[in-house]
Amino acid sequence: MTIGRVTQRMLTEGSLANLQRNLGRMATLQEQLSSGRVINRPSDNPTGTTAAMRIRASVSDQTQYARNAQDGIGWLTQIDSTLDATTSTVRRARDLAIQGANTGALGQQARDALAVEVEGIREQLLGLANASYLERPVFGGVTAGGRAYDAGGNWVGVPGSVDRRVADGVVVQVDVDGRTVFGDGASSVFAELDALAAALRAGDTAAIGASIDVLRAREDTVTGARAVAGTRYQRIEQSGLAADDAKISLENSLSTIENADLAETTVHLKLQEVAYQAALAATARVMQPSLLDFLR
Amino acid sequence: MLAYLSTSRTILARVEAGVGEPGPNGVHAAMLDLRNAWQDLSLNPGGTAARQQVLGRAETLAQALRMQVGNVTREEADQRVHANSLVSEIDTAASGLAALNHDILVTEQNGTDAGVLRDRRDQLALRLAELAGAVTTIEPDGQYTVAVGGTTLVQGKEAGALVVASGITPAGDADGSAISYRVDASWGSTVLPTGSAGPGGELGAVTEVLTTTLPAYRAGLDAVAADLAASVNAQQAAGYDASGAPGVPLFTYDPLVGAASLQVAITDPAQLAASSLPGGALDGGNADLLSRVGTYPDAYQRLVNGLGTEVAALERRTANQASLSGALDDAREQQAGVSLDEETVNMVAAQRAYEAAARLMTTLDEVLDTLINRTGLVGR
Repeated sequence: MTIGRVTQRMLTEGSLANLQRNLGRMATLQEQLSSGRVINRPSDNPTGTTAAMRIRASVSDQTQYARNAQDGIGWLTQIDSTLDATTSTVRRARDLAIQGANTGALGQQARDALAVEVEGIREQLLGLANASYLERPVFGGVTAGGRAYDAGGNWVGVPGSVDRRVADGVVVQVDVDGRTVFGDGASSVFAELDALAAALRAGDTAAIGASIDVLRAREDTVTGARAVAGTRYQRIEQSGLAADDAKISLENSLSTIENADLAETTVHLKLQEVAYQAALAATARVMQPSLLDFLR
Repeated sequence: MLAYLSTSRTILARVEAGVGEPGPNGVHAAMLDLRNAWQDLSLNPGGTAARQQVLGRAETLAQALRMQVGNVTREEADQRVHANSLVSEIDTAASGLAALNHDILVTEQNGTDAGVLRDRRDQLALRLAELAGAVTTIEPDGQYTVAVGGTTLVQGKEAGALVVASGITPAGDADGSAISYRVDASWGSTVLPTGSAGPGGELGAVTEVLTTTLPAYRAGLDAVAADLAASVNAQQAAGYDASGAPGVPLFTYDPLVGAASLQVAITDPAQLAASSLPGGALDGGNADLLSRVGTYPDAYQRLVNGLGTEVAALERRTANQASLSGALDDAREQQAGVSLDEETVNMVAAQRAYEAAARLMTTLDEVLDTLINRTGLVGR
């Protein structure tokens, strides 16, 4: 800039404008430092604001997915332990049947005792089939009731799968339809045990032998259902971990966009302070002298 | 131009401050919270707590949206009052300038110096430029003619009156029509053009903000609220509530009123249609779907981005314009300003000249002294 002629007023106003600008920059840095954020309003960085809002949405989604997965893990854990108990219970019933089939060594009295134990196992299985998680029967589908099976061994649930959304577009079923494990009504494990108990009481060896086969098949069914639930457990657990990881890395990027780097901002503030002091000093010097001060 | 930009910026920055984004407390966060509450309900469709939470968060979101619209509406009301007071200030300045035009003419015809009056007239002309982007032309006879939006407002000793022609009532309310201004003067009554050809300065900025920027932002919020209500209500209708009945609308929204009318209509948490199966089964399928409907968070993000970009652009333009006017002020000062050094040098030069003249007097005095007192030796 070539200045042809300098007047005192030019100096005053120029200095004042520069001081204002310096002070404004200091105020911005001060705000960033005291709020800890570089974006305090959308206009500070419109693009960053949009990015921050998008990331916030993703963080919120991932948090929810992790929570959903946690809930699903609860269901599947309950199912897994119940099916584990079911397997051993059914196996115990089959052992009893094999024992009862041994007609030579056992008297009817002993078979009656076996029948009583089988009936006990039936009750135990009924309890397992009605296992619940957070007051909902895990084998009852989407029923609003508290039970999956009534005392007669009939399924009283409502068909429908209980799903958990664990990632974008990923929905995992977290319940098991009781009918695929325990059967329903006449074809249920309860009916099978009833038949075994009756056969034991009647001493019908052929019927007992048939029960052994039936119970072996039931054992396979339960194990198969447990494997399916286990696979789902794994899927949901992995999704939950992935959601947790995603949440952490998203929070990191959010912090990069939104938060002020403390060291950097402090250095900038210090620099700005020095600049401001220099401007003040320069202004003080420039405003003071005029020819009048030297003509004494 | 500077007054126009900085006024727009100040107004929009105020609206922007009420937005509260990005952060954990804004409308956007309320939207995300509502979505998550639906998901929580899908985890536990039988629980009253989860249902109550959905209702609570829906209310929070509706309230947050209403509050933002309220901010914008309040700002609009403030600016309408502002426009009215600007118009009356412009009128006062215009009549003052016309009176000065007259005084200066009379004073100078008398042959008296009218410097003080001229200074005051310059100040008024400058103020009119700031207030309304008024253009001042100097007539051959030294009189100022002032035009606003291409229409003469002051001519000689006569000033027209700038009035609000439509859009704002004297009490500062909106009258439903577009805002326009009129100059009523003895040379006729002219309605000023609108937009960039109309009044500039502060009045132009206020008008622009009132006709374009704020209504656009409000319309954006209305669209967000409309989408929220429509998409959620449609999905509610597709599902079944706790008693197995089809879902009823969760939000009420009146398109004629806009986002300010957004309300939560359901008070009984059992009426939330979490189930996608009839008969009151505990499947949370519809709650899951309810958390996915609508594009209102995206629309809201775009809206906030738009506002932020506008304010940021205004800030930059204001800064540019400020340095440009600074340079112009400098240039004027270079030409017309008072330099103390210059004046001092002139003063010293005058002093020296005076000293030199005084010295001449001393010399002359000595010459005379010699002549009169030393040359006549006759009497000694």
